[in-house]
Amino acid sequence: MSTPLLTARGLTRSFGGLVAVSNVDLDVSAGEILGLIGSNGAGKTTLFNLLCGSMAPSSGKVTLQGQDCTGWPAHRMAQAGALRTFQITSVFPEESIANNIRIASFRTRQSGWLDSLLCSSRFKRDEQDLSCRVDTILDFVGLGTRRDQLAKTLPYGEQRKLEVAIAMAGQPKLLLLDEPAAGMNPDEGAKLVEMIRRIRDSGVTVLLVEHHMRVVASVCDRIVVLDHGVKIAQGTPAEVLNDPEVVRIYLGREKVHA
Amino acid sequence: MNQRQSATLAAGAVLAVLPLLVGSSYYQHILVLWGIYAVLALSLNIIIGYLGELSFGHAAFFGIGAYASAILTMRYGVPVLLGPLCAALVAGLIGAAVGYLSLRSTGPQFAILTLSFGSILYTIVNYWIDFTRGPMGIVNIPAFSLPFVKLDFAKAVNMYYVVLALMAIAAFGCYALMRSHSGRAFIAVRENPALAASLGINIFLTKLAGFSAAAALAGAAGSVYAHYLTVITPDMMGLQSMAAVIIMVIIGGKGTLVGPLIGALVYVCLLEVLRATGPLRLVSFAALMTICVIFLPGGLVSLWRKLKQNNATTTTVQGQA
Repeated sequence: MSTPLLTARGLTRSFGGLVAVSNVDLDVSAGEILGLIGSNGAGKTTLFNLLCGSMAPSSGKVTLQGQDCTGWPAHRMAQAGALRTFQITSVFPEESIANNIRIASFRTRQSGWLDSLLCSSRFKRDEQDLSCRVDTILDFVGLGTRRDQLAKTLPYGEQRKLEVAIAMAGQPKLLLLDEPAAGMNPDEGAKLVEMIRRIRDSGVTVLLVEHHMRVVASVCDRIVVLDHGVKIAQGTPAEVLNDPEVVRIYLGREKVHA
Repeated sequence: MNQRQSATLAAGAVLAVLPLLVGSSYYQHILVLWGIYAVLALSLNIIIGYLGELSFGHAAFFGIGAYASAILTMRYGVPVLLGPLCAALVAGLIGAAVGYLSLRSTGPQFAILTLSFGSILYTIVNYWIDFTRGPMGIVNIPAFSLPFVKLDFAKAVNMYYVVLALMAIAAFGCYALMRSHSGRAFIAVRENPALAASLGINIFLTKLAGFSAAAALAGAAGSVYAHYLTVITPDMMGLQSMAAVIIMVIIGGKGTLVGPLIGALVYVCLLEVLRATGPLRLVSFAALMTICVIFLPGGLVSLWRKLKQNNATTTTVQGQA
């Protein structure tokens, strides 16, 4: 397997006496789709927050492309190329869809206020690239026809698409998706799976925290299973779903048909 | 040329000939005051409108600019023409310091902190008599003058063009900001800070840059004010001035370019019209502000937008009929 893009070693986070994430090792290889699953309270979200810089670990180390990024704030992680989405839909509600993408392209900017003030050629080029990018990304997620609509007027499923579009606008190396299928019906879920595949095919590595077993099993190359803050299994979907420990703890006693 | 550009050009032309049309030096004086307050309102608009934080202490930077410019030109031999630039620098630096200390808080906490810093700066200016002459104020501040060209900048009509130039620079600066990535970062921080951070925007630095720039612009406006009126007192940074700037921005329409300009015009005009009513003037402003917040939260400019929308809907309805 290729070199890991993101690694975690001995990652631990405790809240008072409660250890939410305990001594977790994790590798995300460039170009893969890695799923992170676990039952409610297993520490998925905490681990996710530790990885994307929203929360500092109590101990342990995180590296991004070989660089130590433990405890970096979220904006620094994003500048380094690791962009996240949110569990609760998070867009810029009062702005148009196209403006959402323009704002979200901040990471790729070449020009600033001074360029704009002087109408420099760098500014014009940057804005031209930007309008191309807005079209490309909105077509990619299927929002091309609604570009002038305010984000808050979009129905829920479409807002989740916009959220992915916002993250993609930053041209991430690693995309961290926090329960993207939450609240989606099976049909929307299937479309999401297809979209995540296309994201990966465009060269972005994806880490996915998810509840929906169907989504995880159908899209992920590898799965990591958490229980009570501890990593209990990892491997391909087939391996993980047949792991007796996983079946016992996470899926109950029923056999899974994914 | 699109509609917007032609509208801007037309407005510019009207503003350029306005003092010649009104004729009387009294009205010209009011126009100058309007221009200065418009720049001040534009600067506060960066904080209230673009960054989405309420700052009570903004008049302090207006005062610091005025005092810096007066003291530097009168005691340290700085050329009067460089006054606004020096004032912007001093106010910007103090703004950066205040911002650094207060911008980690948001919302009401931040508003209260700016109120405290504004009051502290006012108190310093008011009591540091050796340096600022305290409540006696500074008098006989030199007016602007140009080399080679003989123009009397104590006269309102000439001063109007200086102020108009500053206003044009400030307005274009804000326009350039809001169409750039830097301005979009402001919007991101205002609308959704968590998402902004996750997109690589450093929230604290973005706010600090905006706050310092706003303080610097207010300082430049203060300098022009000082060299125009030739007299300044600490009152210009007092509570009443603090409230006045906020009133201009809110009544005009926060977060827009034209709003602060209109708000400043309304404020300056009402100040003159209501002069006879004495203390009731302040009550009227408070009432106006309250009415505006309740019935017209978008400020006066939102009336125009509503009108346009209504027209648009009537046209479509007629089109369908």
